[in-house]
Amino acid sequence: MTAYLIRRVLQSILVVFISAVASYVLLSLAPGGPLAGLRQVQQNSRFKITEEDIARIRASFELDLNLPIRFSRWLVGAPTGPLVIGGKEYFGDVVVGCRKPIEAEVLNSRGIYEIKIVGCKEDVLLKDIVGRRTSRGILFGDFGLSWRLLRDRPVSDLIASRIPKTLQLIGLETILSLLIGIPLGIYSAVKQYSKFDYIFTTLAFMGSAMPSFFFGLLFILVFSIIPKNAGLPYVPAALSESIRDYTIPLIGEVVAGSVKDRFLHMVLPVAVLTILNIAGWSRFIRASMLDVLRQDYVRTARAKGLSQNVVIMKHALRNALIPFVTIVVFTLPGLFSGAIITESIFSWPGMGRLYILALGDYDYPVAMALFFILSVLTVIATLLRDVLYTIVDPRIRLT
Amino acid sequence: MTVSAQIDSIKAEAITIEERSPFQVVMMRFIKHRLAMVSMAVMIVIFIITILAPYITSFQVDELNVDKYFVPFGTVDEATGRVHYLGTDNIGRDYFSRLIYAGRISLTVALLSVLISESVGIVVGAVSGFYGGWVDSVLMRFVEFMLTIPTLPLLLIISSMLLRNEDLIPIPESVLKTVGSIMLLGPKDARSAVLIVIVLAGFGWLSAAQLMRGTVLSLREQTFVEASRSLGATDIWIIFKHMIPNAMAPIIVDASLGLGGYVVAEAALAFLGFGIQDPIPTWGNMLSATQTYMFDKPWLPLVPGLPIFICSLAFNYIGDGLRDALDPRLKL
Repeated sequence: MTAYLIRRVLQSILVVFISAVASYVLLSLAPGGPLAGLRQVQQNSRFKITEEDIARIRASFELDLNLPIRFSRWLVGAPTGPLVIGGKEYFGDVVVGCRKPIEAEVLNSRGIYEIKIVGCKEDVLLKDIVGRRTSRGILFGDFGLSWRLLRDRPVSDLIASRIPKTLQLIGLETILSLLIGIPLGIYSAVKQYSKFDYIFTTLAFMGSAMPSFFFGLLFILVFSIIPKNAGLPYVPAALSESIRDYTIPLIGEVVAGSVKDRFLHMVLPVAVLTILNIAGWSRFIRASMLDVLRQDYVRTARAKGLSQNVVIMKHALRNALIPFVTIVVFTLPGLFSGAIITESIFSWPGMGRLYILALGDYDYPVAMALFFILSVLTVIATLLRDVLYTIVDPRIRLT
Repeated sequence: MTVSAQIDSIKAEAITIEERSPFQVVMMRFIKHRLAMVSMAVMIVIFIITILAPYITSFQVDELNVDKYFVPFGTVDEATGRVHYLGTDNIGRDYFSRLIYAGRISLTVALLSVLISESVGIVVGAVSGFYGGWVDSVLMRFVEFMLTIPTLPLLLIISSMLLRNEDLIPIPESVLKTVGSIMLLGPKDARSAVLIVIVLAGFGWLSAAQLMRGTVLSLREQTFVEASRSLGATDIWIIFKHMIPNAMAPIIVDASLGLGGYVVAEAALAFLGFGIQDPIPTWGNMLSATQTYMFDKPWLPLVPGLPIFICSLAFNYIGDGLRDALDPRLKL
């Protein structure tokens, strides 16, 4: 077990590292970035942007450094300059980047001229980057500075302001799904082939086939737009709190930013996430419960004369929940990604929406940081699931 | 004496059960699943409509009608007498035509993704399960590694990168032309659709490979494989003649569920703005565009949204029906 755990932890670290490298490289290959608008400004004769200005801007975004160096500075905050051992500098003259690239128009495969970097006029040496502002490295909790969304402010500020919003959403969703989904699944399994079971399985099946973005829009239509247009009580559909005070029929005046306001804004996104989640989870509980109810020990318990409640709650449910525990653990990081879509529909200012904004707005440090956090969460959840398997079910051995 | 006489009189046909091929048995079991049959019928209708797209629709996909924005359902175009069955969108493009062309594109993307991901999955899974040893551990470690990366965020990164940098992956012109002719797109527009297929299939083959490997692992120990080997069959022969045909059942189910999944995934990418982009219609980007106008015109999201839901549900029911039909242990 210990050997297994050590191997798995090492493996997980490798996974996080490789996915960080892969996504960093992918995002670095994407065109755009903070220099995207600069070329247009450069062609505009009113603003004279010299080559020196561009070099300075490139340096401030570290775009003049080579990819591996940039990645290493992003990941662990090194190198910050030449290696100093006993007062002597080493590797000071190693080329780590290019300050002024030579650009030329190159004919690409589709027959269009593109501006490409073909050479370098002025190199950046390792000793040149001494004293540059740098992050301490994402491994040590410093996510660097945002490029566009909150220009030159730490990414961690941006994320820290969004995390509570996502946690609110997901926390509430998980609790509600468990509270509603488990009893539904049990009831449906116990009353197999009843009318309730039939309706329930059909709805759950539809729920698991329902795309969350369409479901979200339907909810906005049915509970927000249509009743609002008809003058009926409605639920606000966008953001996590409103900017101005508003009045809802029957509910009355709602002060912007009050508890009531925030609660009302949470209703729709939480409902959408919860319903879709219940569809999956309760189907699983039902199947697992049906499986257990057929077991011999349940029949024995019944034969002993135990009451239906005791048989179901004590003998069947406990065993049916074993596989479910692992499912729940594993869906948690999935919920964060699932929240990407739901948060986008409801303009909910959480991490998922931030991720979409960052990717769309070329704010790659923010996107990278969020992706890194998500990878770590997923990897931890995978590990936790596999370990939980053995704890809840001693028949499974890990090797 | 009388007894034997009676036995003689019974015809052979009366006591033998009519012989049915495995395919017939599966078909009969599948037909019993009512919802799956209904779904099958619905999907056949949708496919026929999208195949006949150029004959059914009377407007071009990108045909702008100035001053005819958001006309109601069934408005007749006075100049030409053509009908906007579902009205027009915010820049006066015919909604009905766009919807059907979008269906053609979305369904083709889903079909191609399934085709590629299942083929890759089958080969990788079969090789991995059949040979075992280091081949197996390398391949399966890689699959496990890919599965621990959060999929949607990575899909978004990859597609945002590819869409802004379309030349990064070289795609042969012939592929673009073929796919373009299926989707009724020019080769240049087809490129983004092909890229989305690559992105989706790039993740989709993982589960198919795991599924295939599991089945092959149990098949490998069967006696008919041993028999085949003792008759001098090569590995390739055994894999393609015995392993793959025998492991098809779970793969077919997976493919059918996958079709629904890819329709939704493609729509989700487009909905979030990282899929196929606007002048090319897809259900996802049409749905995304309706968000801005749904406050005044609440029926708009239903038009592209319902087909996505219907396809997803139908493919799921078909998959469910196939799963039941292909499972010999299950009594229907």
